[in-house]
Amino acid sequence: MNKFTKLFITFISAITLMLSSMSSSFAKVDGEYIVLGAAISLTGKYSSNGVHTQNGYNLAVERINKMGGVEVQGKKYKFEIIYYDDESNPKRAAQLAERLINQDGVKYMLGPYSSGLTKAIAPVTEKYKIPMVEANGASRSLFTKGYKYLFAVLSPANQYLEVAIDLAVEKNGGKPVRIAQAFEQDAFSQDVRLGILDAAKRTGSEIIIDDKLPKELNDMAATLAKVKATKPDVLVVSGHTKGALTAIRQIAEMKVDVPMLAMTHCDAAKLSKQHGKKSEYALCASQWHKNLSYKDSFFGTGKKYDKDFKKEFGYAPPYQSAESSAALLVFKDAFERANSFDGDKVRDALKTTEMQTFYGNIKFGPGGQNTAKPMILFQVRCKGDTCENKVVAPTKWASDKFYHPIPKWSERS
Amino acid sequence: MDKVNQKDLILYSGLIILGLAAPFLFPGFKVQLTILCVLIVLAMTWNLQGGEMGYNTFGNILFYGLGMYLTASVQVGMFFPLAEWTESGGEKTFVHTTSQYFQGMGVGLLVAALVPTIIAGAIGYAILGLRGHYFAICTLGLGIAAGEIAGGIEIIGAGQGFTTPPFPKDIVDPGARGDFFYFLSFVLLIGTFVFIKWIYGSRFKLILNAIRDNEDKAEAMGIQTMKYKIVGWMVSAFFAGLAGGIMGGLIGYIDSTDVAFDGREMGVFMVLMAILGGKGTLWGPVIGATLFHFLKEGFWTLILGWQYVALGVLIVVIVIYFPEGLMGWLREKYPERFGEVIDEKDRKAQVELK
Repeated sequence: MNKFTKLFITFISAITLMLSSMSSSFAKVDGEYIVLGAAISLTGKYSSNGVHTQNGYNLAVERINKMGGVEVQGKKYKFEIIYYDDESNPKRAAQLAERLINQDGVKYMLGPYSSGLTKAIAPVTEKYKIPMVEANGASRSLFTKGYKYLFAVLSPANQYLEVAIDLAVEKNGGKPVRIAQAFEQDAFSQDVRLGILDAAKRTGSEIIIDDKLPKELNDMAATLAKVKATKPDVLVVSGHTKGALTAIRQIAEMKVDVPMLAMTHCDAAKLSKQHGKKSEYALCASQWHKNLSYKDSFFGTGKKYDKDFKKEFGYAPPYQSAESSAALLVFKDAFERANSFDGDKVRDALKTTEMQTFYGNIKFGPGGQNTAKPMILFQVRCKGDTCENKVVAPTKWASDKFYHPIPKWSERS
Repeated sequence: MDKVNQKDLILYSGLIILGLAAPFLFPGFKVQLTILCVLIVLAMTWNLQGGEMGYNTFGNILFYGLGMYLTASVQVGMFFPLAEWTESGGEKTFVHTTSQYFQGMGVGLLVAALVPTIIAGAIGYAILGLRGHYFAICTLGLGIAAGEIAGGIEIIGAGQGFTTPPFPKDIVDPGARGDFFYFLSFVLLIGTFVFIKWIYGSRFKLILNAIRDNEDKAEAMGIQTMKYKIVGWMVSAFFAGLAGGIMGGLIGYIDSTDVAFDGREMGVFMVLMAILGGKGTLWGPVIGATLFHFLKEGFWTLILGWQYVALGVLIVVIVIYFPEGLMGWLREKYPERFGEVIDEKDRKAQVELK
């Protein structure tokens, strides 16, 4: 045997040893821990929302564990989450889901951030029959694929801004409006767009600008120039955090006057803080707001959650964090009702979930989406230099009246 | 059979046995192994241009992405209306039967191999006249443009992405899907390797090298360089298209810029792997891709959050200490084992000439 062959054999056996030692997967329930798996965007274009998601998960895990954990068959268990970084990349996310299930032996999954990544992970969890409670994949097409192990605590994406169009029509004296819209090329934003298309059809409104914007939205000046020229009644923009920031920045720079501006991700982008008065009057779709009157025994009310979250992480929780925390509450509830660690039993328990959390009521429809909770709209309003998000719709929770139309830039101080 | 061949035989059969046994030895790593096969194929095909021909292309990702979309589209389109499948929010769910799934996959892969090859021929005819940086920049544009265009075509899902058909439900064994894609990619790997090894023994490779070393001189020698450049690129496109088709099925969800025309990751990785292993060698890309994949997966597990920093440091180290790649370094260190083999007959012929 020559040197090269020896070297080769040594190399191969080293790898074999390394891999086989890594394969020793630990079980779904490890001692007193129930192990959940999650691929989260810690880097890449969704990194800020990925961190909101992770913070939401962590806060809930800590809280549930501190308050006695999960009781299954008379024994107390604690939650533990294995995280990987999916880099905001669907390819990576699918791979990590396989890895969590096959190598780490995870039997229950938490969702990633964004619809695109959830779409990539869902086929994998479905294949291995792993129940996944996800809090950040709102695309409608997730719920029409007949997935049986996917549960989403949020309302589907097409509902995000539909209400805004109704509101615009109402303000227009019931007459159809002219809509300008610009959406990022991604699964979530495109679904929001479909919702607008539906609403436009329903109200007979006309869509005069329908732009698609690139991912990692940093510039939408071309769309805004068109808006300036055509003067629509409503401008709708959706493109995650960067989309919201870019829109406000450029609308203010270009002094675009439009009676109504409807967006998503205002709170995740901390618009009212980052852009202050420039962001005033923006109408935003949200899954949750701290002023809503829901409560549970772990986090108390939305206001209490807001306070605890601020204390822990130093910023006000966007709805992405709130819904992520709620996902853990759903899992806890399901484990206790199933009283078992069997995947299918847990899944059946999830299916019959009906509960109230600080984040809202949760009940899953046939496709896995949450049907018990409406979307809300808030508007950024400023007093002096401090700006806040005020709920304006639906009327049940509205703390302020919807301000319409937005004053022209020339009249704004 | 002489001695050298026998040694090769042991090596090859060893590797093939290892490849066949791998999914059973490490059942948990099937996906990573499948991706490894695809990465090796991509590195080897890139090496044909970047290493042998001296044309640093960033455009091979175009064929990979095309292959991915084509396979999935054919697989769906053969049995169901494609537009309804991709239309988001469609209430209908289409389910492939087992035979439909595999038939679709087979035809899809065939298309995924042929169409990119033809496109490579057409584009190659147009742009392979460019040299050096101009060619690199032009091909970089190709990949980016393709991603943006695909993101606007409704029938393949546009920005919504394209969910590829799920693996047939009738096959109950959850490991079957992994096995299927692993062996598919392994067969592709062997096919690619055998073909490229054959090229390495042919006059074709020498012509590519002549183009790399001095294109004008090659032309002066009467070689129609354009023809060979185009054929070379078509070969790469053929295998890259197949690789894309397999990856699309494996991932299960195609996004225009993040999965299919993923120039930022795959497009750069294939260059990096070839350089890491040593471009312009047969084994370089294989070793490079394997090492790269292992390191990358390792970084991701061990130093979460710092993986890209580690990868960056690795690249710097490679460029400084192994500018010729691992194979290049080995060649310099052990020329008797890894150096260029000069055919005995050839040498004798030269001696006789004196």
